[in-house]
Amino acid sequence: MRYFLQRFAQLLIVFGLVSFGVLLVMRIGSNSPEELAIKLYGGRPLSPDELTEAISRYHLDTNYFVQYFYWLKGLVIDFDLGQSVANSRAVADLLKPRVWTTVLLGLYANVFGMLIAIPVAVRQAYKRDGRFDKAAGLMTFVGVGVPAIVLGVLLQLLFTVKLGWFPLIGDKIYPWDDLGQHVRNFFLPTLTLTIPVAAIFARLLRAEMVLTLQSDFITLASAKGVSPARVLWRHALRNSLFSIVTAVGTNLGALLGSAVVVETLFDLDGLGSQLVVSVLSSDLFTVQSFVAIIVLLVVSVNLLVDLAYALIDPRIRQMRSLG
Amino acid sequence: MTTSVVSSQPADRAHERSWWQRLPKGGVLFSILWLGILVFLVVFADYLSFIRDPDAKVRVAGRLQSNYKLGPGYSAWFGVDGNSQDVFARCIYYARNSLQIGLASTVLGLLIGGTLGVLAGYFRGWIDRIISILIDCLLAIPALVLAVMLIFRLDDIKATWTFLGWMTRKWQIIMTLSILAVAPLARIVRAQTLSLREREFVTAARSLGAKNGRIITKEIVPNLVPTMVTVAFTGLGILIAAEGALAFLGLGLTESWGFQIESNRRRLEKAWWATVFPCLMLLGTVMAFNLLGDRLAKRFDIREAAV
Amino acid sequence: MSIVIQASTRATDGPLLELSDVRTHFQTPRGVVRAVDGVSLTLDRGRALGIVGESGSGKTILSRSIMGLLPPRGTIRHGSIKFEGREISGLSRRAMRELWGREMAMIFQDPMTSLNPLMKIGAQIAEPLRLHLDMSKADAWVTAERLMRDVRIPAPGRRLHQYPHEMSGGMRQRIMIAIAIACGPTLLFADEPTTALDVTVQAQILDLLGEQRRERNMSLILVTHDLGVVAGHTDEIAVMYGGKLVEMAPTRQLFANMKMPYTEALLHSIPKLADPSHTRLNVISGRPPDLVNPPVGCRFAARCPYAQTRCREQEPPLIASVEDPRHTYACWYPVGSPEYHEAKERRRREAELAA
Repeated sequence: MRYFLQRFAQLLIVFGLVSFGVLLVMRIGSNSPEELAIKLYGGRPLSPDELTEAISRYHLDTNYFVQYFYWLKGLVIDFDLGQSVANSRAVADLLKPRVWTTVLLGLYANVFGMLIAIPVAVRQAYKRDGRFDKAAGLMTFVGVGVPAIVLGVLLQLLFTVKLGWFPLIGDKIYPWDDLGQHVRNFFLPTLTLTIPVAAIFARLLRAEMVLTLQSDFITLASAKGVSPARVLWRHALRNSLFSIVTAVGTNLGALLGSAVVVETLFDLDGLGSQLVVSVLSSDLFTVQSFVAIIVLLVVSVNLLVDLAYALIDPRIRQMRSLG
Repeated sequence: MTTSVVSSQPADRAHERSWWQRLPKGGVLFSILWLGILVFLVVFADYLSFIRDPDAKVRVAGRLQSNYKLGPGYSAWFGVDGNSQDVFARCIYYARNSLQIGLASTVLGLLIGGTLGVLAGYFRGWIDRIISILIDCLLAIPALVLAVMLIFRLDDIKATWTFLGWMTRKWQIIMTLSILAVAPLARIVRAQTLSLREREFVTAARSLGAKNGRIITKEIVPNLVPTMVTVAFTGLGILIAAEGALAFLGLGLTESWGFQIESNRRRLEKAWWATVFPCLMLLGTVMAFNLLGDRLAKRFDIREAAV
Repeated sequence: MSIVIQASTRATDGPLLELSDVRTHFQTPRGVVRAVDGVSLTLDRGRALGIVGESGSGKTILSRSIMGLLPPRGTIRHGSIKFEGREISGLSRRAMRELWGREMAMIFQDPMTSLNPLMKIGAQIAEPLRLHLDMSKADAWVTAERLMRDVRIPAPGRRLHQYPHEMSGGMRQRIMIAIAIACGPTLLFADEPTTALDVTVQAQILDLLGEQRRERNMSLILVTHDLGVVAGHTDEIAVMYGGKLVEMAPTRQLFANMKMPYTEALLHSIPKLADPSHTRLNVISGRPPDLVNPPVGCRFAARCPYAQTRCREQEPPLIASVEDPRHTYACWYPVGSPEYHEAKERRRREAELAA
């Protein structure tokens, strides 16, 4: 348990520091509370009444630590993230309907990425340096490096323009609203995000599997008369799986970065695309909150990754119960 | 039993190869050709007759080829875009920005990240703790999100703090991208330094009374060079892709492949060439750097080379 | 009690294992490594054979060749291996799998890395039982518990549900033995089973192996670099050097009357309890031969204190001793013979001249 609590505390500190850093980046560079208030309200001139209201509401006349405290309090207690100026709506109302787009995209990419990567990497490791291994190695190499814009545009060209299978402009429609439409609209964005993820997973898992297959306990399993399939899937894969679990955490940043591009490219209204829109309209509150929420997502996933480690490996599990 | 079992390969017959067999194979050959030709075209673009002025309007038989009228062909290799400008010429001229920004931000990132990594790994203790927390924090923000946020704020901060006025848009992007490179680089360099500082030659230098500064510059840094060079190549690819993504989102330069893609992609159906060729330029360049990085990583046996 | 399966087709007479001219070579970038280079021997039922040699002598590769456990890629195999009268050297991996666990089993050197870290001990012992004997899960676990008791593991019921990292090295080696004997194999390979263990545990493990072997009437091939280990636990000893068999004899005979200078050197390299405490260890100077380009004559000649010109030019054949036909050796100047004393004297004079 101590191991887990330690990680939890560590991630909490990271979140605190990062969200404070984001607030700082958002608010430095103003000479007076009035100037800051105007900036926070999108740069339009404010009446004296509006000014005093804004300053007192967000405590702009205090130092950044106090401002951060009130922002954090708003986030945790009332889920009040301030006012989106560009839309004259509460940021929270802007956020809620969009979170699912990004979360679903991330989830799909990781799940499908694993479903593709695991069989490919296992086959590669089994017949190492064989024809399949080499072909898959080349494909995963390209897959890891291909920029999201390039992949997205090329997939759009093929599936939408040439084949006409998917709509060119798709609204975000969630599976609980209309599953068929959801699949049609989310297919290409998901594919664009999944290919690099699958490629990274496959490369890491292959390398780990190759090492695992050389270990003594694998030879012993064979010497017991266990079938190659069982050696591969039951003994070797499970011992190599943590490489993928780690990659889920380390790759999340890149995945969410690509999600910004993909949401914009496929007109899927999500955290990323809204972030860009807010940046272009100088909507400070929204940008700050969205970045904070994205960081919260990253931190939470990393916590899940730690849990998954414990699930896979009894040694980590027992380290917890000992502590 | 020490007999190693290695996959069946014919014995190395390097000395029997003729010169054309000794050329680098596959990926590296592609990288060298691609980057060589690209750099040549970029440097001499102004003097090469087959590269038009990127802003000039293409005319065929005196008629303006507006609204994607001309596809890829003899008069315009990559076709024309909506403003009847030559897509090929733009692709070449915009490569200038991509390569410059990629190179400058990689060098800057290497300097900052390398310094932080060496300090953390060499001195350990509280310096290491602070730098490690900083790295963790930077890694908690998705790189592109961080870039979007920083570029956006630099515009405004520049207006208030006038001493930053020298920063053009291009410099803003370089600064931002170099910050993206800092965290992963610092982490790799830190890990390497941690293991280097325990090696015999460092211990020997220390026991001879060498000062920390001397050990770092004479013993540690030279041994970090292979890793840094390797990571730099892979990093270049990634940063060029990031530059493209920023431009695509409308936060980068307008003279960029990314912006070309963005401004033509809604006409994909009518004129695929105006979008696809910039895409391929970006893909080829990113891949060329990735391939070189991968080759070097294998050569120096570096595992964690991915930024 | 354990379950011993006797297949009806099994031949019950004749030797259990017959090797003739077994060669195992590996293709490497450096060239062909002749790891095992022409080994012939027979092993009778219920007997224990020790294969002794330095690292690099081919002893491990030989045992893995017999079992067919070598990676198929880059491995070149020749010669005949007969198990219970049946030729098995050409069998596919699939066919060999029928033998593994059921007919032959192996105990590895390092118990720390040879157990799957993510599987419960019980599941690892039960796996071959369920696979080969078609036991239900419950039966297999009950049998596993009994096997753990057989190999003297305290509180087996609790240990079944533990993971390898919760056990000591000696305990893990016992588990390895339990796994190996689970399906009642006729031939057990033990590859340096005690090298990775504490000295105090080593004797226990060897005794346990001997005891289980007698109880289950298994044949044992004990591979080790340590003549001391095989002395009390085998019926016969085969000494390997540079991929070749250089001497083989019943254990007693070998210790009483060894012929090969290499065997002698191996014996002298064991420190004796009777020695004063700071006696220098006798090491065999020099390095094992290069198996890519093996030397022309006797492979031990370069390191042999009695080597003559003939040794460096002609390879000595494996011949039977006049006193005991079961004792074979490959040496031109066998220890104790008149030629040997002559050779020793000649080398002494040469050394004096050179000095």
